[in-house]
Amino acid sequence: MAPIQRNLELVVTRVAGLYDDFVRTFGNVLFAVSLFVVWGILTLIGVIVDQGKEPAVYFATYAAPIARAILRLNLDNVYHSPWYVGIIGLILLSLAVCTFKRVIPARLPRLHPVQIDKIPLHATFEANGDVRAVRDSVATFLSARGWQMRERVFGGVEWTFADRHNWARRGVLVAHLGFVILAAGTTLYWARGFSGETAVLTGQAVEIPQTHAVLRLDGFGYKIQPIMTKSGMVYQPIDYVSHVTVTGNDGVARHETVRVNHPIDVDGTLYYQASYGFGMRFRVEHRGRQATEISDRTLLEGDSFEIPGSQRSVSYERFVPTVDRQSGMPSADPRVNNPGVVLGVVQSGSSLGDALVPLRTWIDVGDGWRVTPQRYVLYSGFQYRFDPGVPLVGIGAFVLLTGLIVSFYFLPARLYVRVDEAGSGRCRVGIAATTVKGYDVFENVFERLVVALKKRPGTADDAAAGGADWGLAT
Amino acid sequence: MSLDEVLMVTALGSYVLAALALLGYFFMRQEWLRLFGMPLAILGCAAQFAQLIARFELSGVWPLLNLYGSLSLFAAMAVAIYIGFAFRYKLWFAGGFVLALAAIFLAYGVTWNEGTMPAVPSLQSYWAKIHVPLVVSSYAAFLVAFVFSGIYLLKYYAERAFARAPVARFAVAGGGSLQRDTPAMAAAATAGSPVATWFGALPSLAALDTIVYRAIAIGLPLISIGIITGAMWAKEAWGAYWQWDPKETAALFSWIIYLAYMHLHTRHAWRGVRTNWVSVIGFISIIFCYLGVNIFISGLHSYKI
Ligand code: HEM
Repeated sequence: MAPIQRNLELVVTRVAGLYDDFVRTFGNVLFAVSLFVVWGILTLIGVIVDQGKEPAVYFATYAAPIARAILRLNLDNVYHSPWYVGIIGLILLSLAVCTFKRVIPARLPRLHPVQIDKIPLHATFEANGDVRAVRDSVATFLSARGWQMRERVFGGVEWTFADRHNWARRGVLVAHLGFVILAAGTTLYWARGFSGETAVLTGQAVEIPQTHAVLRLDGFGYKIQPIMTKSGMVYQPIDYVSHVTVTGNDGVARHETVRVNHPIDVDGTLYYQASYGFGMRFRVEHRGRQATEISDRTLLEGDSFEIPGSQRSVSYERFVPTVDRQSGMPSADPRVNNPGVVLGVVQSGSSLGDALVPLRTWIDVGDGWRVTPQRYVLYSGFQYRFDPGVPLVGIGAFVLLTGLIVSFYFLPARLYVRVDEAGSGRCRVGIAATTVKGYDVFENVFERLVVALKKRPGTADDAAAGGADWGLAT
Repeated sequence: MSLDEVLMVTALGSYVLAALALLGYFFMRQEWLRLFGMPLAILGCAAQFAQLIARFELSGVWPLLNLYGSLSLFAAMAVAIYIGFAFRYKLWFAGGFVLALAAIFLAYGVTWNEGTMPAVPSLQSYWAKIHVPLVVSSYAAFLVAFVFSGIYLLKYYAERAFARAPVARFAVAGGGSLQRDTPAMAAAATAGSPVATWFGALPSLAALDTIVYRAIAIGLPLISIGIITGAMWAKEAWGAYWQWDPKETAALFSWIIYLAYMHLHTRHAWRGVRTNWVSVIGFISIIFCYLGVNIFISGLHSYKI
């Protein structure tokens, strides 16, 4: 029994020791700052290293060992890597420990006596009158200037405590709480939200897999304005608009308009105007006979189709809205005026080349096959997103900002005042000040305060009192 | 010249002259240089705001959506924040540096002037009127903090140099933060060193540090609101408030640096030279976020549609 008990005690002591170490480390601001540094570095890596690219891109950009390290360490997708999630987790943990173990005790100290001359910001001077009268007069003076006065007796000595912006001591707690709420809001999206993209051709409808809402594109329009600038012609987009019919959970079809910056809300999921493009109908024929299966499809930019009975495929690489009539080359004008398409031909995985093909003209792709871009159809790209964390993120942001403003613009300060008999109807007034941000920020205010305090009626003047003694110790 | 151009030339000219005068004041402490420089700084700043308003009135296009407009606001806000600080805390001596930087950024901004263009759809939002001024003003506050950090570090390393010099053996009596945080300099000044006397006329290290803190305390809430409103705008325009776009991520990086500054500043032992270096690094990160990301990183703030 005894050895078991001893072992148990040993385990308890060990665990208590580990807990203390944990609290000491995670409750230290410098540890928090180290976490910020790691967080900052990871964030910066994501700015410098292109994110979410194919492995080949990294090998093309960096030396092989660096590219390998980027891929192995998930630095190609750093913001969703275990490192990033881990560091945010550690920051939240440290924030919690620090707030309870350090910030609260330090920011909300109990009223206690101090050794006035041990506090760097202090002054002592003499005043005429008895202790009670001087103490009352100091208290009246300070409370008239907005200081909140409290009196306590410690060991038979009466202390006066004056606080300024005492409520603002909670600013840090509010800022920290705001950050936690914000983090909770983002986590809620990870846990329960979703997003996706879809492209809808004019006249067609798609069902959104997650919500089963049906989105039909009735029409898409754009407005682009050519503007002559100092460095040449710029085609400035002015507006993109999708006219849609949406059917949500209630089964009722509604006509809506989606514009950039003006998403629509269908059963809590938002739909955004994200992109647009040109679908294309091709006529594909072999020695005069049309391959109907391919010809009936509308291809989006990037799609491709196989040439039946061959190893060859044709890809619709991009739409060229305006082919320059003189040069026969694509022009920069994004408005449709003499359109064409860029087609690529691939044989067994290797490219045979690209060609710019004006609309309704054909191109021979070998073995008697002809491809004719026939007709274009505009499509609209939508992004959709369901994010149950938005209200929390909003509240978190608001709380965080409130905390920052309270912490930065209201400086809580405490004055410790002690009045003692100095003989022959005089008293010695000792006053010291502390703030939550050290002494330097308060030095001038304290100096002015003491000067004014000494000028109260009935106070012996500076010279008679032997000079004030204030200032900061090294 | 159009009204727009007249105002811009006035602003730039005033800044250059004010920078020269106030730099002269910094080195020579001639009162007339300050009396000449400060009104010019105010004139330049007023001309800049008038120019931005005139541009908006004449074109109907919010003028801050390109680098020209935003750099112009950056310079104007930096000067405005500096003027506010200067009058509140009597900081005339630092004006030369702020105005020189403002003049450089403004001149650089002018090279990006393409004339007025209507905004692309994603920028046609009331958020543009909130987000851009907030972010740019935060950069301006950080510029002011950077200048004071620079002066802090200059004085700090000068003190170290004086401390190594033999004259430091003279002890200095008396309180006050000036002697307290630069005793070697004060001793050298007493011993007749003109350089030490010159340094001695600058505010104490503690006071400079407090000014830097105050400037960052303006910048940090502004960049926080700036990032948050940016995220709200992104949510409305693109459907996601955070896309890890290099620009927003670089802003987050700067935010983390200034957050670290604020936390270090709560520790007595770290307040001073170290926090001022953090402020310098913070401003470098701001410039990287503001200009570097645009120049060196591809595919950023791709306004999609
Ligand atoms: C690892 C996480 C964090 C820890 C351990 C931590 C800890 C602390 C500590 C100990 C203080 C000083 C309190 C005092 O001396 O009375 C402080 C101040 C502060 N913290 Fe944090 N903090 C963390 C994260 C954050 C975050 C993420 C934010 C904001 C988004 C934040 C905002 C503030 C503010 C505004 C102050 C006041 C600074 C001042 O008044 O100068 N903290 N924090």
